[in-house]
Amino acid sequence: MTTVRAPTIELRGVRKTYGTGPGAVRALDGVDLRFESGEFVSVEGPSGCGKTTLLNLVGLLDQPTEGSIAFDSTPVARLPERERARRRLTGVGFIFQRFYLLPTLTAAENIALPMRGAGRPAAERSARTAELLASVGLTDRKDARPHQLSGGEEQRVAIARALANDPGLLLADEPTGELDRANTEVVLDLLVAAQQRTGATLVLVTHNPAVARRARRHLTMADGRVVGDVREA
Amino acid sequence: MSRALRLSHTSLQDLLAVAAIATAVALPVVLLSVGGGVSAHERAQLEGSGFEITISAPGMHGIGNSHALASQIDAIPNVSAASPVLSDPVDLFAPEGGSEPALAEGVLPGPFLATLSASERSAFPSPLPLGDPTDAPHFANGTYEGVATNDLLVASPLAAALNVSVGETLRLADGPNASRSVPFTVTGEFGTPGGALGPLAGFAVVLPLSDLQILTGTARLNGTSGPILDQVDSVEVSLGGAAATDPAAVDRAAAAVQALVPYYGVTTLASQVAQLDQADAVLTGFYLALSSTAVVIGLLFLTLVLLRRVEAERRSIGIRRAIGLPARSIVGRLVGRAGLLAGGGALAGVAAGAIAVRVLQSYGTGDVPTIAALAVFDPVTILELVAGTVALCLLASIAAARAALRLPLAEALR
Repeated sequence: MTTVRAPTIELRGVRKTYGTGPGAVRALDGVDLRFESGEFVSVEGPSGCGKTTLLNLVGLLDQPTEGSIAFDSTPVARLPERERARRRLTGVGFIFQRFYLLPTLTAAENIALPMRGAGRPAAERSARTAELLASVGLTDRKDARPHQLSGGEEQRVAIARALANDPGLLLADEPTGELDRANTEVVLDLLVAAQQRTGATLVLVTHNPAVARRARRHLTMADGRVVGDVREA
Repeated sequence: MSRALRLSHTSLQDLLAVAAIATAVALPVVLLSVGGGVSAHERAQLEGSGFEITISAPGMHGIGNSHALASQIDAIPNVSAASPVLSDPVDLFAPEGGSEPALAEGVLPGPFLATLSASERSAFPSPLPLGDPTDAPHFANGTYEGVATNDLLVASPLAAALNVSVGETLRLADGPNASRSVPFTVTGEFGTPGGALGPLAGFAVVLPLSDLQILTGTARLNGTSGPILDQVDSVEVSLGGAAATDPAAVDRAAAAVQALVPYYGVTTLASQVAQLDQADAVLTGFYLALSSTAVVIGLLFLTLVLLRRVEAERRSIGIRRAIGLPARSIVGRLVGRAGLLAGGGALAGVAAGAIAVRVLQSYGTGDVPTIAALAVFDPVTILELVAGTVALCLLASIAAARAALRLPLAEALR
């Protein structure tokens, strides 16, 4: 079993405003949160409540307008883009609702992409890609391009890609939003299995209560604030 | 937009970018190869001349007392021949009624032959059948009262056009008025050396200097009664032996000639070559300036295509950046793309330029085919052109790379 270094993540007074002046939109409005290492957390709430913004900030895709974000007590929100990109590459795995595979690459090439970026040797990349393809049950689809894959298959490739560099933090934004029930179960099982196998922190944004129930901690957001935080015993 | 349509749009943009760069490169390829070829040809002709020093008069004035001057120059050490030359347009009237305009050259037959290059000399009969090689009998010490031979050498194309041959009579006039014409006997023909840039070379006659001076009114002021003019346009001076190839000896002889004719221009072959080189450099600069306009347009087009590509691929770029791929890999893709388009365009431009020159050689009108045939494709120049274009295109891709790295990630993934 591969275990990873899952960070403790702390947000203090985080605000995020898009635009300026009268048309400005406050997406997050003073969020204080702490994600423990290895937690599986679901984030629920209506559309526009700030779930994706929260995920983007935690995943270092965006910077807060105010407040601080720390990984293992190290401030990361104001790091230069180069350093944030390095941390994303090696420490964060993203799974998006629309999969976001690169259309010109095969399934195997999409999975290997983060490893190429990290400069891992070709032989190591090849072995790890085969391992990940097998773990998501797509060994026989390794040469297929995204448009040749079903939605469920695409999301499985996306999960494999997110796991490629053994990140300590997995961020899934509505990962089953475009899948049918059968594929939803498959994808969730894969995510949960990966989280349990590696010990990574998993933050999963969803509208679906059935999906959220798989988590051990449940955050509820409304109007840019965290209005509910329930931990299961 | 469907995937197929997007792809065809992308291909079309790529094709247009390649076409713009190809056009930008083809223009200097044509200009530099033809221009360079013409310069090289002129230089070769100049360097192959049979004389080392030229005397020319400023403005419209001719050089006076040319027979005496030639004798004085002959006395300068190392000088082997001094050839005064009078060039004038004349009209020729054939016995059967035809007429043709031509360039007449009045020369002292002996010195003229001595100052020709080996290849030029081979086109003429030797000795020149123009009477006394010194032209002294007719000149008669400036009285022009000696017997004129009225001999004439005709260029073979002109002889063919007028349907005359050796022994026949042609009438010459200093203009289209046949009533003022003077009879000359055709005593020989001469070939036209490879004078690709001299369109008149094919239609020329050579005759004794005194005869042409009388015909054109440059012998004496007021015809034959006034003070002596003995006018020519230039005097070509050749040196003998090793002095001809010794720059110091040539300079010394030129200085001695200049001392004889302080008000006339005296140039050595070396200085003429230098002047040609300077003119060539100015022309090359002009060609490059003209071409750079095309290159700038090509670069702007490429930049727009790359910026459009960034816009079209914002999600793909966003995904790569979200994953955390290093900036160099994202920039590298764009720069690689630019390099590919630029390289392809530049090579296509070289090919298009070469084809354009070939088309001009085959289908151009007037002197264009002859001039185009002189084109020289210098591999170093072409390599520099291609490398320069690709380098500029890579620089142009910086704008697109910056745009890609500044894409707001959250927006790009929305």
